[in-house]
Amino acid sequence: MLTKDQRVPTSLYVRTALITVAFAVGALWLVRALLLDGLVMLASVVSAVTIFLLLVYLRRRYSAMRWMAIGVVFAALFGVYPILFNIYIGFTNMGNGHLFSKEQSIERLESEQYLPEGSSTFEWKGYQSADGYAIVLIDADPPRFVSESGADETVELDPNGEPPATIDDYRVMAPNQVLPIIDSLADLDFGDPDAPVRIQSFRAAAASQQRYRYDADLDAVIDLSNGVPHQAKEGSWVGPDGGELVPGFISVVGADNFDRFLSNDNLRTPLLRVVVWNFAFAFFSVALSFLVGLGVSMLFDDLPGRRIIRALLIVPYPIPVLVSVLIWRSMLNPDLGTIGEFLAAIFGSSPQFFLDPMWTRIALIVVNIYLSYPYFYVVTSGALRVIPEEQYDAAEVDGAGPWQRFRYITFPQLIVIVMPLLIASFSFNFNNFNLVYIFNNGNPPMADTIIPVGQTDILISFIYKLAFVTSGASDYGLGAAISVALFVVVGSITWFQIRATRALEAR
Amino acid sequence: MNRTQTRRAGTVIAALALFVAACSGDDDDTSADSAPASADTETTATTGDSAADTAGDPADTAATDTTGDTVAEGDTGAGSSDNLTLWVYDDGRIEILNELGAEFEEEFGVGVTVEAVDLAELRNQMLLGVEGNGPDLAIIPHDNLGALVENGAVAPADIGDKVSEYLPNAIDGFMYGGELMGVPLAVENIGFFYNTDLVDAAPTTWAEVKDVGGALVAGGTAESAIGLPDLTYNTYPLYTSFGGYIFGRGTDGSFTADDIGMTNDGMVEAMTYIKSLADEGLIPENIDWEASHVLFETGRQPFILTGPWALNRFRDAGVPYAIAPFPAAEAGGEPGYPFLGVQGLIINANSDQLLLAQAFATEKIATEDSMRRIFEAEARPSAWQSVFELADDTDTQGFNSAGVDAQPMPSIPAMGFVWDAWVNAGTLTITGELSPADALAQAVEQIQTQIAES
Repeated sequence: MLTKDQRVPTSLYVRTALITVAFAVGALWLVRALLLDGLVMLASVVSAVTIFLLLVYLRRRYSAMRWMAIGVVFAALFGVYPILFNIYIGFTNMGNGHLFSKEQSIERLESEQYLPEGSSTFEWKGYQSADGYAIVLIDADPPRFVSESGADETVELDPNGEPPATIDDYRVMAPNQVLPIIDSLADLDFGDPDAPVRIQSFRAAAASQQRYRYDADLDAVIDLSNGVPHQAKEGSWVGPDGGELVPGFISVVGADNFDRFLSNDNLRTPLLRVVVWNFAFAFFSVALSFLVGLGVSMLFDDLPGRRIIRALLIVPYPIPVLVSVLIWRSMLNPDLGTIGEFLAAIFGSSPQFFLDPMWTRIALIVVNIYLSYPYFYVVTSGALRVIPEEQYDAAEVDGAGPWQRFRYITFPQLIVIVMPLLIASFSFNFNNFNLVYIFNNGNPPMADTIIPVGQTDILISFIYKLAFVTSGASDYGLGAAISVALFVVVGSITWFQIRATRALEAR
Repeated sequence: MNRTQTRRAGTVIAALALFVAACSGDDDDTSADSAPASADTETTATTGDSAADTAGDPADTAATDTTGDTVAEGDTGAGSSDNLTLWVYDDGRIEILNELGAEFEEEFGVGVTVEAVDLAELRNQMLLGVEGNGPDLAIIPHDNLGALVENGAVAPADIGDKVSEYLPNAIDGFMYGGELMGVPLAVENIGFFYNTDLVDAAPTTWAEVKDVGGALVAGGTAESAIGLPDLTYNTYPLYTSFGGYIFGRGTDGSFTADDIGMTNDGMVEAMTYIKSLADEGLIPENIDWEASHVLFETGRQPFILTGPWALNRFRDAGVPYAIAPFPAAEAGGEPGYPFLGVQGLIINANSDQLLLAQAFATEKIATEDSMRRIFEAEARPSAWQSVFELADDTDTQGFNSAGVDAQPMPSIPAMGFVWDAWVNAGTLTITGELSPADALAQAVEQIQTQIAES
């Protein structure tokens, strides 16, 4: 199996075999651990990766792939797998109340105890002997000694209410002997095996019983205290009265999540308005910052002292977006901000940059231009140098004015160079969560929607509000489904744009 | 295949194996008792076995040795007394908690490792972490409790009779579904601040707030009558003084989303009052947290509703202030009450040292001595009645008088749907797009839609 080449020395066989076995065992252990955690998808990806690597390593036929095998593996683990996982989550009910695998959920439920009616909890003291552990139920009437070997006897307390220090072979344990092993003691049954006493906490013990048992035939969890079955149904344990047990589990629910936002009028109406603004926001952001960047680079191209000017113009670029946006936020505050007060001094009042939808949108795009124009300034000032000087000379000789020179020489050659960057920038701004979220959290609100949506929400911030609301009631399934849809939207826009660029280049 | 090639390929694969193992190596080592295969990667060796022998007390080796078939064998980690892990989301109390942990170790032979962890991360680890991950204990603000409990991540904390030693509303904050789900540590609420230069005494009704503040604005002394940092949390006492509330309580005393009080008359009246302030130019239309504080600390606004977090900046700014109870809707009426925030210690139900963790919470932390020392380490109003009364500075007393009737912020997951809908209702009212009643009705509809769809 290792290799068909008979001239290879034996030591090489041994080493190859050792490495193979070690790698395979390591991989198997990892896959087993993942499967135990219920991470079936990750386990299969790791298995596939392992088989692939072993094939490349062992089969001479595939040896040509060695130089790229690692790259492929990384792409699979960090590129493809997260996308597949996201799509998978989009088809599940993962979210609040459904965060465990079915096995984990059953395990949790089966570990729950309940006190049958009429039984009570007792204060206890631990004992140990060569035969194991025992406890004394001090405030039972009469006080009882119960051992894990099944003994159940009455004990006499001394006048202080303390049980004896030794009972048969058993010696009393001090608290510092009990506590370190208390969680193991809690697994033990003391006394009568049919109605065992179990430790509930540091102070309490009781004849508690298992509350739930999973019945595989019914695919239901039975409540042993009253015999009521809770049927497994789309990730929940549903009782006959509709009540659900906590926790539920993650289950595939088909296209429900997609259905929830595609066919849901509550979501669809605001969704359309969000999409329209999303396109406008991305388009104007990119187009205007490109034009500003280009204008600046043409203006300052041949000025004296342009190095200093250039350095100053690039300042917005290295400042973290978070900081810039917060500063803009305070400057635009209509009542206290610098810009707000300036506008108020001129026009008598400042526009409501955070309350009026139109002004909020304008402010957002202005801030975005401020953030992005240095990028286009840098890019275009480089690209402008590529255009040969002779063409301008020739055009001037032919009597072309500045506008005509720009229109027929600069722009066509520039656009071919920067188009891929514009596309990338468009995709980025289409999902520019930071800016929208920090600036005004997508607000001001729309007035007539059945879920909270802002007038300046873009798809990604809308999703965030929808799927990840505060205090942890997150709906991962819905969030994943919408992000899959978003991926399709952005992916197709990019595809069309790339085609358009190709056409442009071919011209 | 020549030697160099083999060596190179071998190294790469070994490195990869290690890398992949390291990436996902933090899954539980307790359920996968890792003895057979752990030889080949180094990641496993460090976690599993070390504690196996520490289970029995050294003095009693005879006893532990012979209990072969019971605890010692079933001892795949649960019986071994690893240190408890306690996560806190703010680090002001780490030192005192370490001290208490060291004492616990001295008394009982098990230590406590205290780590500062970002609250969101803490929540995610407790929600998504499978057995063996995440902390054994954590300190959280109580409004995070609901989602954690509803996902089975929190075990009850049975402190028995000691419940009566705590402030009733602090206990209330950690009650969930009729059970106490944590040991309260500290409480926090906002207060009614007034500038003692601008006004002589705190107003007792909201109408008085408007009159006094309005006169100052009209006289040019102030630019805004009262600072509303937001339209929800910080303004809640205004709503409650008129009789508004968010969620009512069910039969077992816990909050229920079946009863939403946001469309009641009190809520509408309070919203109408806010609208009138904005319309008459007594507050900025644009409700802004920062602006409301700046106006107060520069002496351009006589009142503000805010919490202890603003104290430092007010002191730094040198603005003379006092903290008072909230005004009432009408003379002689009940003053408004704020939300109460309760911080407390919860026990991770997925911990494999559950009883041990519970013992630490109920035996070590829930004692007057520990609670007093925690209070002394970081002066936040204690949840323990007798320690709460120790607070002697005027600011804390001011907050306490404003929060006498404070109600815990509802911690049911549905509360997550309230905030956006609520603030939107306020904004739409102020901009005049909807009437107060319509805006609130829409908010309730939004909350109910989201609850139904969740």
